[in-house]
Amino acid sequence: MKLGFSFDQSLCTGCKACSVACKDKNDLPVGISWRRVVEYSGGSWQQAGDTFTPNVFSYYTSISCNHCEDPICVRVCPTTAMTQGPDGVVSVDADKCVGCRYCEWACPYSAPQFDPASGHMTKCDLCADYRADGQDPACVAACPSRALGWGPIDELRADLGDLAGVEPLPDPAITRPRLVITPHRDAQPTGTGTGAIANPEEL
Amino acid sequence: MNTEELPMIIFTVLAQMSVGAFVVLGVVQVVAARRFGAAAVDKVTDPALYAIGPALVAGLAASMLHMNDVTNTLNVVRHLGTSWLSAEIVCGIAFAGLGFVFAAAQWFKWATPTWRRVLAAVTALVGIALVASMSMIYYTLVTVPAWHTWATPVQFFTTTFLLGTLAVGAALTGTVMWRTHHRTTADAHDAASAGATVPTTDLLASCLRGLGIAAVVLLGVEFLIIPLSITTLTATGGVAAESATVFTGAWFIARLTLVFAGAGLLAAFVLRYATTRTNPRTLAILTATAFVLVLASELIGRSLFYDSMTRIGM
Repeated sequence: MKLGFSFDQSLCTGCKACSVACKDKNDLPVGISWRRVVEYSGGSWQQAGDTFTPNVFSYYTSISCNHCEDPICVRVCPTTAMTQGPDGVVSVDADKCVGCRYCEWACPYSAPQFDPASGHMTKCDLCADYRADGQDPACVAACPSRALGWGPIDELRADLGDLAGVEPLPDPAITRPRLVITPHRDAQPTGTGTGAIANPEEL
Repeated sequence: MNTEELPMIIFTVLAQMSVGAFVVLGVVQVVAARRFGAAAVDKVTDPALYAIGPALVAGLAASMLHMNDVTNTLNVVRHLGTSWLSAEIVCGIAFAGLGFVFAAAQWFKWATPTWRRVLAAVTALVGIALVASMSMIYYTLVTVPAWHTWATPVQFFTTTFLLGTLAVGAALTGTVMWRTHHRTTADAHDAASAGATVPTTDLLASCLRGLGIAAVVLLGVEFLIIPLSITTLTATGGVAAESATVFTGAWFIARLTLVFAGAGLLAAFVLRYATTRTNPRTLAILTATAFVLVLASELIGRSLFYDSMTRIGM
């Protein structure tokens, strides 16, 4: 049974409670955010005769490590510090990590993040301790609109489909993320986007 | 100009130069020994061989600064089956170790010349594997379009042989110049009695002609690769095109100018002076200057390479 996340873009308001809950639970310093909320927006206006109609759009995607089926970070790590457990969760062992940051170069979701204080990589482990206690991961529990979910990825895909390629996320074929997205009405498929990330400073 | 990755810039360039110099020295020894004899060739090339070790050690020392927790350094070889970074480190250690054994064997004249050549060939192959694994670290990152291109291994190997060629040229002329000015009484006696000065001069001229031609050819390869790879990136669009913008501006122009001046103009002069057997001091200055200019150019080029790291995704 492999675990993954689900995310409903149509429900997300971009409040970032998930991101803050993750930082709080894991006591993450400034500069490290295992879960981030990206705002993708675009559009301008259309002219029909003398009428100008705006077609602007904006939607949010809450993203963390997707505990991928083909985790490139695990493959490239020279130390075996980055490993994938039997439940599919990718975690990093600080006792092995040398802080070379090769996984950081490789991951298209910026999941492994470097902590200058310890000299090691850090990342989401889907709140392993909370799960062991029968609780939801902090980000899922904190979401006020119930946009975030988690569970066995097969069940999530059976219920919600298998879409994971939405702008501004990368092509899911690269790492095959265990992530299911329910798209926003204005969502654009990966690689065909006409918008841009509106909050790069927050990522 | 990227300075964050300075340890990797220094390591990759110095390690590639060391491999290139070792391979080029091997070619010089094999080719020149037929005409001038192994003993005469060893006398000119051995100091260059011994200079490779410190350069490689300096590169490996710089690479340690790339690691943010040196207490876990030994772990970097644990993922040999999958990680090209592990492969690079194993190959780097093996190349340094085999090179040290070969240098010791040359110094103390251990084993027969044939066995020493076998050891040199194995060391050279491990060196080639080192450069190959080094390039695969970047090439296999499908998430970085500027690195995931044929240009990465081709450029790494071009740097390897271009810098190696000019380093050997500088070392050979330096050795001969040093010996000319600091020749001991015994050496002078030996040289006079065996008439060794003329073969040494011929040997140096012959080697420099070959090295000059190689440098000019490799410069041509580099000047072919650079525009082709930039054009490919630009044509790909998206993140790749974004990466290509790094290859503009003053540092890129400086990189091209230096490599052209070093490997093109100066190597052509080395070729000419070596052919006409002009003043060896002029040759020494030319080869040393060419080497320094190309080394500076390759360091800038590698810095731009790291600057071009723009990743797919977010």
